[in-house]
Order: sequence, then structure tokens, then C-alpha cells
Amino acid sequence: MRIYSATISDEALKVRSRESFYARQKQLFILVVALVSILPLVMIGWASSQYYKRSWLQQTSIDLKSSAEGRKEIIDRFLATQQDLLASLIELYGLDSLAAQPNLEKVFPAVNRSGVLVDLGVIDARGEHLAYVGPFRQQLAGRNYRDAAWFHETMRTGRYVSDVFTGYRGEPHFVVAVTDANRGWMLRATINSALFNGLLASAEVGPDGDAFIINRQGELQAVSRLPSVNGGETEAVIPAEELAAIESDFGATYHRHGNFLYATTWVNGHNWQLVLKTNIDSSLAQFYRAWNLGLLSILLAAVAILAVTTWLVRSMMGRIELADQQRMLLNNRVREVDKMALVGRLAASVAHEINNPLQIIGDQAGWIGELLEDEAEGQVINLVEYQAAVQKIKQHVGRASTITHRLLGFSRARGGQRSEVDINALVKETVAFLESEARTHRITVRFALQADLPPVMTDASQLQQVMLNIVNNAVDAIGDDGVISIRTSRQGGRLHIEFADSGPGLPPELLSKIFDPFFTTKKGGKGTGLGLSISRNIMHRLGGDIQAENGKQGGCRFTASLPLA
Amino acid sequence: MNNGFRVLVVDDEQAFVATLIKRLGKRGLVCEGAFTAAEAIAALTNRDFDVVLLDMKLPDADGNDVLREVKRLKPDTQVVILTGHVSVSDGTKGIDGGAQDYLMKPVEFESLLDSLQRAARNRAIAA
Repeated sequence: MRIYSATISDEALKVRSRESFYARQKQLFILVVALVSILPLVMIGWASSQYYKRSWLQQTSIDLKSSAEGRKEIIDRFLATQQDLLASLIELYGLDSLAAQPNLEKVFPAVNRSGVLVDLGVIDARGEHLAYVGPFRQQLAGRNYRDAAWFHETMRTGRYVSDVFTGYRGEPHFVVAVTDANRGWMLRATINSALFNGLLASAEVGPDGDAFIINRQGELQAVSRLPSVNGGETEAVIPAEELAAIESDFGATYHRHGNFLYATTWVNGHNWQLVLKTNIDSSLAQFYRAWNLGLLSILLAAVAILAVTTWLVRSMMGRIELADQQRMLLNNRVREVDKMALVGRLAASVAHEINNPLQIIGDQAGWIGELLEDEAEGQVINLVEYQAAVQKIKQHVGRASTITHRLLGFSRARGGQRSEVDINALVKETVAFLESEARTHRITVRFALQADLPPVMTDASQLQQVMLNIVNNAVDAIGDDGVISIRTSRQGGRLHIEFADSGPGLPPELLSKIFDPFFTTKKGGKGTGLGLSISRNIMHRLGGDIQAENGKQGGCRFTASLPLA
Repeated sequence: MNNGFRVLVVDDEQAFVATLIKRLGKRGLVCEGAFTAAEAIAALTNRDFDVVLLDMKLPDADGNDVLREVKRLKPDTQVVILTGHVSVSDGTKGIDGGAQDYLMKPVEFESLLDSLQRAARNRAIAA
């Protein structure tokens, strides 16, 4: 029975350790390359997005401010136009004409074709409502305004625009009043809030934005989107916090509160603030679309980098692994050659040291044999025993000599005599040496020898040594009861001699080692581990080769091949 | 057959030389032994031998050097090399150097005798 040493697990561990080393290296390279290439990409992407977001917001603020300035001009011009209209009426018609109700009723529709004015009234210096055209004639006819703040303000300044208020009408409105040059009377008109609000509606504030006007008290004067304007209830419409933020930053070009950007400007002198606000998310929608596209590009680039990196690293590591394997094979080959050279020198030295005493022993035995022949018959009592002993000594010297010659054959050709050899005959002759041993172990040797093989020019004794080694190993591997099959064949320009045994075969990881010097699976002391190594050396020297493999039906199969030419 | 041809046995193994001389002498050969290269050269200088049986490893010289010296002193003297350490290159070198035969220890006495006889015949032809 063969013994398989612990080198199986050691070898398996080495292979696993190498594989895990290459796997770790692959992962490390992929990680490093991916980090080095993807991280900057992500950082550049993030930094760019922040930069462009900030730029986008600044541009939005500038646009918002510009839009506010445009609205301011329109609103101020609107208010000035209404005041100028009243001033023109005062100059053209005078108090007497306009204080006559019929005249006022004629003039009003003529100057109010746009419908901007809701009503028009003539009030004297005492606050008396002299004439009135509009929908609230019943409520306002004969009313006196001498206690109204707006009346006094108008009389004081000559021109007046009120804040929005509800007044008698029950709905938000504001009035414009202008006095004559002597401040003796005034024309007062109510402005259509709906039309005035319309001036804000076209402001470019985005889908969720808003435009509105507040007075110095923070009360809403006009809106574009808010559901209603209700003087005195504006705090409920504009949150106090937002109002405070707007008021703290009147006139700034770039102001942000919550998720809104604001632009503010004075209108109506410094009485009202025009506020434009835009929703940041809405205005950044386009930016976010671009950013998502960029993100997708970065993601795709990262995936591509990762894929290429993985492919490159795998390819490179594959080459490195292959190169390492080749280097290891080469190193093993070099080590083997070194070992063989050492073994060769050792073998030669041992053979030489043993050959000399063997020569002497053989000669001494021969000399004793010759001397015994000279003895007179009957003079030496044990003559026959002595002669038998001499013969045995000579026989064992011959045996030892075979061993030393075989040892020397390991390192070099002994004689190197080549001749035409009938391989089939040599196979039969070789097996004949081991026939008795095979019979003892109940091992059958079967031959399948190709009949028409041409003779091969080779060293018969060397080849015989190879065959002896292989058959001897097969007998040892089988133990008892088995078969050794020997097949010869011609394959192309080569001659093959195949030896298959019915033994247990060899573990695959040991197949590559069995030709190494001193490698043996035989029980301690039985094998030197040189037989197959010598055999391979011989086959190479003869221009041939020898291979080992496990048979499909089990057992081990050795194939020695020689060139025919 | 042996007609008393003369053999110089050169080998540092004294037991081997002594026994071989006795065995060859028993067969009618005139033998002399030398254990070193110096002894061998001295013997060759003073006496004629038909064959020199030469070991390649001597304590004071390499066998090839001795072979060259033998061939220089006595070109007709045949040399048979007998060594325990043989190789193809050694053998080729020996034959190229003028040796008649190249044998490896341990050699059977009959083979050795046969080789010496052939060498002696060659010497007779050469002479």
C-alpha cells in the first residue's frame, strides 16, 4: 500500500494561499484605481454643482431685481398718470364747471375710457363733497371730509395717493387726490384695485412666486397672486416672520428667506414697497434637471471606469499570475537541475567509493576459488562449501555492482552504446526478470504489443533499466492480486511503451512530483525515490520522454516514448 | 596463449594489486605493481612492459597525465584503464589519449584478462 505524505495538504494550502493572495491583490488594485479615478470625478461633480447652483441663484436674484425695477417704473408711471389726469381736469375745467354735477358726469366717462377710475369727486377747501360721479353716490353725496387725514394731507402737499383701505364701500381701494394751484379745492378719484393689481400680475416671478406691495406698516396694498387684499388684515396674509425679513433688508439686491428669493424696491415715493419673491426650488428646476443629467453622466462614467478597471486589473493580474507561475516553474526546474546535479555528483562519488572495495572483494573471492582448485582432492574437508561461498560472494558483488552502475547511470550514460533494438523483445526480456516476483504477488502481466514495430536505435540496457523501474513500481503499487498491462505502439514518428497497473493510482497533486529525486510514496526504506528520476533522465538522454497519469479505470499509467528516426 | 607478456598494474589499492598480480602470475603473465604515479613512471623508465593496467585516480597524479607520460616514454606499450569512476567523457578522453580499453570496477576477472590479452596482442602487432 502506498503512503501519501502530508505534502498533499501543504501543497493544497500553498495553492489556496496563492489564489487568495491574487484575489486580494485584484480587489486592492480595483479599489485603489476606482477610488483614485472615481473620487475626483464625484468631487468635481459636487463642486461644480455647488458653484453652478450659487451662480444660478445669483442670476435669478439679478433677474428678480431687474424685474422689480421694471415693475416700479410701470407702477410709478401709472400713479403719476392718474394724478396728472386730475391736474389736467382742474386746469381745463376749473371749480365752477366741475362742481356742477351734470358737467362732472359728462367729463368723467370721457376721461375714464380705460376704466381705471372707479369714481370722481369734487371737494372744496372745507371738506364739502360738491359733486360726485361713481357707484357710491348715495353713500357719499354731501359727505364732509374735513376730519379725514387724507384730506388734510392732500391740502398740505397738493397731491396725494392713499394706502388701500375699505372705507364706506366695504371693499379694498385707494384714492388719488390733486388740489388746484391755490389749494382751494381738489379732485379726488378712486382707483380700480383689480386693474392696479393687474400691473403686478405680469411680473416674472416663476410658477410659485409672488409680487405684492406693502406700505410702511407692512399692510398689503396690492397683490398678484394672494387670494385677497384686506387692509388691516395683512399680517394674516403675510407671515410676520417673512414681513420682518423683508423689512430688514429693503433695497438689497440678493435676499433669501426660507425657500424664497426676494427683490424689493420703493414705489409711490417712499410710501410703498414693491416686493417680488420667487420660489428657489421652482427657479432651480432647470438647474436640477441639468444636475440630474450630470449625475447620471457621472454615474455612468463611474460604472464605465469600474468596469474598465476591473477588466484591466483582472487581465493584468492574470498575466502577473501566469508570469509568476512560469517563474515558479522555472525556479522549480532550476532547483531540480541543481538537485539532480548534486545527486549525480553524490551518486558518482558513492559508486566510485564502493566500486573499489567491490573489485577487491570480487578479486579476493576469485583468488580463493582459484586456490581451492589447487588443493588436492579430499585435503579440504569443506571444499564444496567454500566453493559455493566463493560463488555467492561473486554473485553478490555482481549484484552490488549492478546497483552502483545504476547509480552512476543516474548522472551519466554508462558506455552510451546504441544499437538497433527490438522493443517488443526487450519488453518481454525485462518482464522476465520480475516474473517470479509477480507470480509471488499473484500479479498477471498482460501484453498488447504492436507486431510490426520497426527496430529503434537506442541504448537497450538503459531502456531496460527504465522498464524495470516502472514495472517494479507497479508491482509495489498493486501489492497483491492485480494486473500490469504493457502496450507498445507506433504513434506518428514516435514509439510508445505504456505501462498500466491496477494499483490505487496517485493523487493528482503528486503526479507532478513523482519524477523528483528522492520523492517516494513507498513505505520507509523500501524506495530510494531515485528510480523514476533516473528513468526520466535516461529517457531524456535517449531523446525520448516519460509521462505519468492516472488511468481512467484507476491505477497509474506510465508512457515512455522514443523517437523512431 | 599468455606467453608471459609483461603487465604493470598501477593502482593505489594495495590489496587489489597484490591479489591481481598473483592471479595473473598464475596464468603465466609477468606482473609488477605500482601504487603511485611516480612508482609507475620509475618502473616504466627502467623496464619494458607490454601492457599497463592503469587506475585513473592515483594519490599523486591524475590517470590521464600518467597515460600521457606512458605514451611519451613507451609509445608501443598498451594501456588498459580500470577505474571505479567512469564517464563517457573520461572514457573518450582515455581512448583519445591512446588507451587500448576502458573498464569499470568491479570488473570480472575473466573480462579483465581478456582485455589485457587483446592489448598484448596489439602490442605484438605494433612491435
